[in-house]
Amino acid sequence: MNPVLRPLPFTWRNLARRPLRTGLTVAGIAVATFLFVFVESMREGVRRATEAGAAETELVVYRRNRFCPFASQLPQSYERSIESVPGVRSAVPVKIVVNNCRASLDVVTFRGIPEGHYLARHLEGVRMRSGSLDEWQTRGDAVLVGAGLADRRRLRAGDRFDAAGVRAWVAGVFESDDPQDANSAYAHLAFLQETAQRGGTGGIVTQFNVQVDDPRRIEEVAMAIDERFASDQFPTSTRPASAFVARAARDVVVLVSFAGIVGWASLVAVFALIANSIALAVRDRVRDHAVLRTLGWTELGIAWIVVLEATLLGLAGGALGACGAFVALRAAHLTFGMEGVSIEVAADPALAVVGLALATVLGAVAGAVPAWGAAHREIVQGFRTA
Amino acid sequence: MAAIECRSLRRDYVRGEETIHTLQDVDLDIESGSFVALMGPSGSGKTTLLNLLAGIDRPTAGSIRIDGREVAGLGRSALAAWRSSTVGYVFQLYNLVPVLTAYENVELPLLLHPLKAAERHARVAEALEMVGLADRHRHYPRQLSGGQEQRVAIARAIVTQPRLLLADEPTGDLDRAAAAQVMDLLARLNRERGQTIVMVTHDPSTAARAARTVQLDKGKIVDAVVHGSVA
Ligand SMILES: Nc1ncnc2c1ncn2[C@@H]1O[C@H](COP(=O)(O)OP(=O)(O)OP(=O)(O)O)[C@@H](O)[C@H]1O
Ligand SMILES: [Mg+2]
Repeated sequence: MNPVLRPLPFTWRNLARRPLRTGLTVAGIAVATFLFVFVESMREGVRRATEAGAAETELVVYRRNRFCPFASQLPQSYERSIESVPGVRSAVPVKIVVNNCRASLDVVTFRGIPEGHYLARHLEGVRMRSGSLDEWQTRGDAVLVGAGLADRRRLRAGDRFDAAGVRAWVAGVFESDDPQDANSAYAHLAFLQETAQRGGTGGIVTQFNVQVDDPRRIEEVAMAIDERFASDQFPTSTRPASAFVARAARDVVVLVSFAGIVGWASLVAVFALIANSIALAVRDRVRDHAVLRTLGWTELGIAWIVVLEATLLGLAGGALGACGAFVALRAAHLTFGMEGVSIEVAADPALAVVGLALATVLGAVAGAVPAWGAAHREIVQGFRTA
Repeated sequence: MAAIECRSLRRDYVRGEETIHTLQDVDLDIESGSFVALMGPSGSGKTTLLNLLAGIDRPTAGSIRIDGREVAGLGRSALAAWRSSTVGYVFQLYNLVPVLTAYENVELPLLLHPLKAAERHARVAEALEMVGLADRHRHYPRQLSGGQEQRVAIARAIVTQPRLLLADEPTGDLDRAAAAQVMDLLARLNRERGQTIVMVTHDPSTAARAARTVQLDKGKIVDAVVHGSVA
């Protein structure tokens, strides 16, 4: 038999025939791996929503010192002034209506935008799951709903959608990688301005989404915009879109980065669980290992038996935990929303694979020290321990 | 030619301040294919001598040549390979692996041999048959009586058909009938397969079945008796 695989049946029987010990250890590793993958997914969600890509070209113009869509009010007429700022390619007035301004797991965000062509450009390349942009054009109360929101609220094209005081009709559902889009319902600006009970009437919007020509000059353009309205009745605060999300979601960002400690601590737990379980197992099997050595197993062979067992524990627990986290995140569609922005805790298969790999490698490492001890024990001493 | 030649063999154990001279200046020749009984009071060094012959312990001084090879001089993995191919060891306390069935315990030494699964199976079945436990191969050690465990341990030791079979009180825990069966088996292996057997025993009538008895006392060989004939 291949020397690498030779101990496999032996190791397998040791694990399978002590189901309680194996089960408890694997369960512990699974829970810790689950936590790790879960927390890392939250961190990844924050990273995706708040970290600027090198080619970021979008600015968000908000009312200065206002932090909620209800409170941020800007005249729609700013549009032309903003567009005349050098470096600005386009500015789109957006009216935002949310059902809840504070951090919540079920935020509904309506984004009212003026014309179809903006939406067409903005949603270029996204996949329509159902319905179409054309249908959106045909009705005043139509909304196009991002898949994340649609899944949470079980919405399909043709449904009525009632939230945040807005009664809308779902013209279609689209899928987008951008968490802001995936958790928004795009409506006609005029419709939102009329229906929204709070936040003013026609002519007032929440923010402007601005595209700049050159991503390297994005900060410069932001300053120029704010300067233009500095002494106006409605002064503005302009930030790159990612920084805007990071600011709005600051509480969650802090919490999640703190939760990162939990993620790494759960890896320590994986290591400790396996190390403990293997150390106990090795102590129990001093005699067995002495028997194997007498029968002709080498020291390396014994070490490999121990490492293999530790690795299998890590692999089994890791697989269970990582798959569990992946499936749970997939099913739960977790999205933190606050102040009109969204952070998605997405189920990323890459993170599940990382969790599985880490648990397995930690298993191997945790087994190494007991393996060394088991291999280097004198055979006759092994027989003399009770 | 003697199969085993021990010269000035010494084994000391150091325990804290004190040094225990477990074996002192043991000179012993064992002919190829012979059947030797090792006797002596408890603590006289019988197990220690067997361990040295098995290559699982190393002498403090002196030499052990087996089939012309200096065992004490072999490297760790060479020694392991040598054990795997040459030695069968029946322990004083059976030492079966508790999570493995009788069958799997007996199969264990064969996993190191380049055998096809079918041949391995045949050999395990044959060994269990020889010790009269063909119907017990699915049982775990805890489900066997002491005598049955001992026979599984014997099956495990003989399944590789080793040239040298070492047995540490193989009949110690058995009743008279079971002991006689085991002795018949050892005599048969010695006669039919020509295996060299060194067996520790406290019982003179068991020792009498061997061709020769070596007496140990306080780590020294005090007497060697050659019996009239192989029983
Ligand atoms: N690994 C060891 N470390 C320390 N002392 C040892 C070791 N092995 C054996 N001894 C000592 O060597 C002496 C002989 O031990 P051994 O096991 O060879 O005796 P024995 O003849 O087999 O006795 P018994 O008939 O009781 O099995 C004992 O005093 C024992 O305490
Ligand atoms: Mg003994």
